[in-house]
Amino acid sequence: MASAANPDLDQKNLRVALIAMAVAAAMVALGFAAVPLYRIFCQVTGFAGTAQVATESDAAIAQRLASSAGAKPISIRFDANIAPGLPWEFAPEQNTDVVQVGSRDLAFFVARNNSDQPVTGAASFNVEPEQAAPYFNKIQCFCFTEQTLQPGEEVRMPVLFYVDPAALDDPNMEGVEQITLSYTFYRKPAGDS
Amino acid sequence: MPIAAAYRDIRVLMIGLIALLGLAFAAQGLSAAAPTAAMPTTGAEADAAAAGDASGDAAGAGEGEAAYEHLGPEWIKGQPTSFEEDPWKSMTFQDQYTDDGQYALGMNMYILTPVIVLISAFVFFLLLVVVVRYRRREGREPSRTTHNTLVEVIWTIVPVLILIAIAVPSITLLARQYKTAPEDAITIKATGYQWYWGYTYADNGGFEVISNMMPLEEAEANGLPGHLAVDNRMVVPVGVPLRIQTIGADVIHSFAVPSLWFKLDAIPGRLNERVLTINEPGIYYGQCSELCGARHAYMPIAIEAVPMDKWRQWVLSKGGSFGEDAEVDEDANVQAPASAMEGAPAAGDGLTAADDGNAPSTPVDTGVAEEATAAE
Amino acid sequence: MATTADTFQAHDDAHHEHDADHKPGFFARWFMSTNHKDIGTLYLIFAIIAGVVGGTISGIMRWELAEPGIQVLNMVAPWLGADPAQIDQTLHLWNVFITAHGLIMVFFMVMPAMIGGFGNWFVPIMIGAPDMAFPRMNNVSFWLTVAGFFSLLFSMFVPGGIANGAGTGWTVYAPLSTSGSVGPAVDFAIFSLHLAGAGSILGATNFITTIFNMRAPGMTLHKMPLFVWSVLVTAFLLLLALPVLAAAITMLITDRNFGTTFFDPAGGGDPVLYQHLFWFFGHPEVYIMILPGFGMISQIVATFSRKPVFGYLGMAYAMVAIGVVGFIVWAHHMYTVGLDVNTKMYFTAATMVIAVPTGVKIFSWIATMWGGSIEFKSPMVWAMGFIFLFTVGGVTGVVLANGGIDDNLHDTYYVVAHFHYVLSMGAVFSLFAGFYYWFPKMSGRWHSELLAHIHFWVFFIGVNMVFFPMHFLGVQGMPRRYPDYAEAFSFWNEVSSIGYIITAVSVLIFFANLVYAFTVGKKAAANYWGPGATTLEWTLSSPPPFHQFETLPVIEDHHDYHDHLPREGDAKPVTA
Repeated sequence: MASAANPDLDQKNLRVALIAMAVAAAMVALGFAAVPLYRIFCQVTGFAGTAQVATESDAAIAQRLASSAGAKPISIRFDANIAPGLPWEFAPEQNTDVVQVGSRDLAFFVARNNSDQPVTGAASFNVEPEQAAPYFNKIQCFCFTEQTLQPGEEVRMPVLFYVDPAALDDPNMEGVEQITLSYTFYRKPAGDS
Repeated sequence: MPIAAAYRDIRVLMIGLIALLGLAFAAQGLSAAAPTAAMPTTGAEADAAAAGDASGDAAGAGEGEAAYEHLGPEWIKGQPTSFEEDPWKSMTFQDQYTDDGQYALGMNMYILTPVIVLISAFVFFLLLVVVVRYRRREGREPSRTTHNTLVEVIWTIVPVLILIAIAVPSITLLARQYKTAPEDAITIKATGYQWYWGYTYADNGGFEVISNMMPLEEAEANGLPGHLAVDNRMVVPVGVPLRIQTIGADVIHSFAVPSLWFKLDAIPGRLNERVLTINEPGIYYGQCSELCGARHAYMPIAIEAVPMDKWRQWVLSKGGSFGEDAEVDEDANVQAPASAMEGAPAAGDGLTAADDGNAPSTPVDTGVAEEATAAE
Repeated sequence: MATTADTFQAHDDAHHEHDADHKPGFFARWFMSTNHKDIGTLYLIFAIIAGVVGGTISGIMRWELAEPGIQVLNMVAPWLGADPAQIDQTLHLWNVFITAHGLIMVFFMVMPAMIGGFGNWFVPIMIGAPDMAFPRMNNVSFWLTVAGFFSLLFSMFVPGGIANGAGTGWTVYAPLSTSGSVGPAVDFAIFSLHLAGAGSILGATNFITTIFNMRAPGMTLHKMPLFVWSVLVTAFLLLLALPVLAAAITMLITDRNFGTTFFDPAGGGDPVLYQHLFWFFGHPEVYIMILPGFGMISQIVATFSRKPVFGYLGMAYAMVAIGVVGFIVWAHHMYTVGLDVNTKMYFTAATMVIAVPTGVKIFSWIATMWGGSIEFKSPMVWAMGFIFLFTVGGVTGVVLANGGIDDNLHDTYYVVAHFHYVLSMGAVFSLFAGFYYWFPKMSGRWHSELLAHIHFWVFFIGVNMVFFPMHFLGVQGMPRRYPDYAEAFSFWNEVSSIGYIITAVSVLIFFANLVYAFTVGKKAAANYWGPGATTLEWTLSSPPPFHQFETLPVIEDHHDYHDHLPREGDAKPVTA
């Protein structure tokens, strides 16, 4: 056995092996870190159709920009889905709406709990076509928090949003005439919130 | 082996290859030009006219909403071809009925197929030469060459050039496929359930068509292809852009129609969208293309493309509406997702009707199970 | 010739015979083995058993697919506790089979054979080392792999939703593998990947350490045989890719059992993220399976052409390039998930780049043969079969690389044909080539060259008949993972199933050849392939002594291994 005969080699081997194991451990960590990193990446770049979150002041700036650049109308489509196991009805008040790029717009979704017990739901969302996602800004959204509906309760849930006028300068946005904002409501397990 | 001889071999080889390449292109051009070039233009118009006639007849007879008559088996265009029917067609792509499909088919036919066949033939030929010429014989001294910069540069650069030649149309094709739908495109949402499809027409009253595989005997009795035929097809207007949106209700499914060069995953919690314009009226079959559980093989897709006026009849026959009517029709709006939810039981049994207009047939197991027991 | 090492061997024979061949008792030798050759043998035997299991499953699959309808699954359903009267249970069984076939062939057949088997056997010998750097860890790696295999087999007999077994496909996509599969089967299947993955990571660490630290004096990195290079690159791929899989499947486990929502949109997760993570591992995994094959083919082609490898450095760095680029092309497995156009264009372009180093390798092998004096012994025939069939699998990869074209071909039988051409024909042909190349070295006995040639031709015809028609099914639109299909697909499916029978016959020939070798096979000399075989294993007896290189061989400077050519008058290798 080489190892028995050669303590120097043992040291060297141990070093290389430890480095290798450290690399493997780092890759495991990176695998887990991919979850928050992916989320941040999507939030920043709009990758995977992730809509942006904006403040009122962002919106005001966008409004000013848009009015100076000459507003252009764009159509917004609202899409609603319900995951299996959530006894709700969920639909947009209107399917489509035409808004001015840069202007704030308020849209409503209607949700109704058809069951005889309170149910909590949370919504996932995305924007199509994907190149529109970095410019689609939500100021207020029912999807930011969980929603609890009492038995038989029906609520109108608002989304306050605007389309960033920077979209007009993006060649990828050429020909985009309609942006779809899609929600899917999921049931939160009882006692989880 | 002297180097000079090797070069001579390579030169002869190259000339032979270029000749072969020319021949292949000529042959491809001849065999392909006739059917593909002629069909979409003249064929499409004739078909459109014929379909128009059919709808005219139907309208004349029924006058109004319930009079929609589905296209018969003679309208099936997008489906696989069996070897017995046409050996050649059973080995190639299905005929394409969209512009992007035609483009992709052309790219495959004129660039990809010749390139891959020639590369494979070239390697095979080189191996053959090696086998014949460099077989061990008495007194043969193996060459000592281990480097040849020129040859090495060539076999790096030439593949790069070939790949660039492929990349240009490839990127063009992608750009075409990602053209966005115009504002007034007909919007249809395909929802993948375990194990059937639901097609929601949000702008037309929000009704959802539940589409199950047709039991095999029923398909056979109706002259429709088993495993592909469905009870309720996704009916769409021909020749206008469709905004196809896909979403998964439970697990990931994939909405795929080979003859339209269309495939888009239906992922839970995430809407996908792509534009689709079908050139000819007809029936186009596809199948779920992402493993989604037990009956993954039994949730086919059938698109029925008909002229606009016929499509409007169909929408009316489903209790749907058009334009602004749809948006005030709140009942229909709310109804759609509700039925979508109820129609999604895990086992696929006991489906509830989305609305009276399209009661789903019994789930597929009848046909398959019977066949299974019959085989025992 | 490797005269130095020859001298060394004589030395070894003369003075260390007793020590070198001292073997422990049966249990200690095979169950607590720390000897790289014994562990290599164990890996090879394990891979053959796993291959038979995986191959049997594919036999059931091809039998079922021989004609439309469900004819076979309901017959085999009771084996795994499914009720044949329940069509959903029968169909679930199909998904269990495709999952098991994929996982077994990838993790328990190809990887153990390539890296565990031939890697363990010949990497230490080829670099002139007495053993692996960590012999005991080597043993742990092996038994972890075996435990993983049993965990996977066990998963087939416990509830997995509709019926027993994990029916998720080898990709284990969420949410089918999380909310879509109730029961412990998927957990056991995932756990089996944890075990096999841990074994492979330890193995990779071992190989990297061995290759970096234990090379004999004078054996510089640029003098290492290409097989060693290929295992080194593979080890790095394992080390970087497998942990990401481990993380991803651990998150699947917690999503399944502990209420996390990493990949569940209900809690803000994204099922597509799982696919990104899986394929970040999955694409390098493809190269993990084929790179050691590349290495073996390089050795074999050089040996039987009696020429050194053409463009040695280009060959070595082509493998490095393939390994590096392999990490930045993963999303080409996910073209239809709804990537945006720019992402899809990038992955199309990046994927095509891989064709360049792969082309360099193919042409370099041919150039190695060009001008040679080629002897068509069985390993060479398998190697030539590999080169051609891998080319065929490679060019269909170029087709699939195009995101726009893949919109039609994704998840069809075209993809199945493609990856079986590069694996079932690429990896497996190189495995058989390596097996016949080294079998007499490992066992000390000759297989029958005639049977090996017959095996090749029957196998060649068989696998081509199985997989070539799948291209036709794919372009016609037949989706993968289907137990039943439209009438129109029946002809090519039937051809494919007949091909399976031929392939199965060829495997019987292989086993007959093993029986032949161990019963009437002649004793093998030290260097039975003659002067073309120049690496260090040919300087040792066949089989090599239990402990080799107790005195390290010296690879001298003037002895430029790769540019060295056998000449008339060179010292003849030891033939005793």
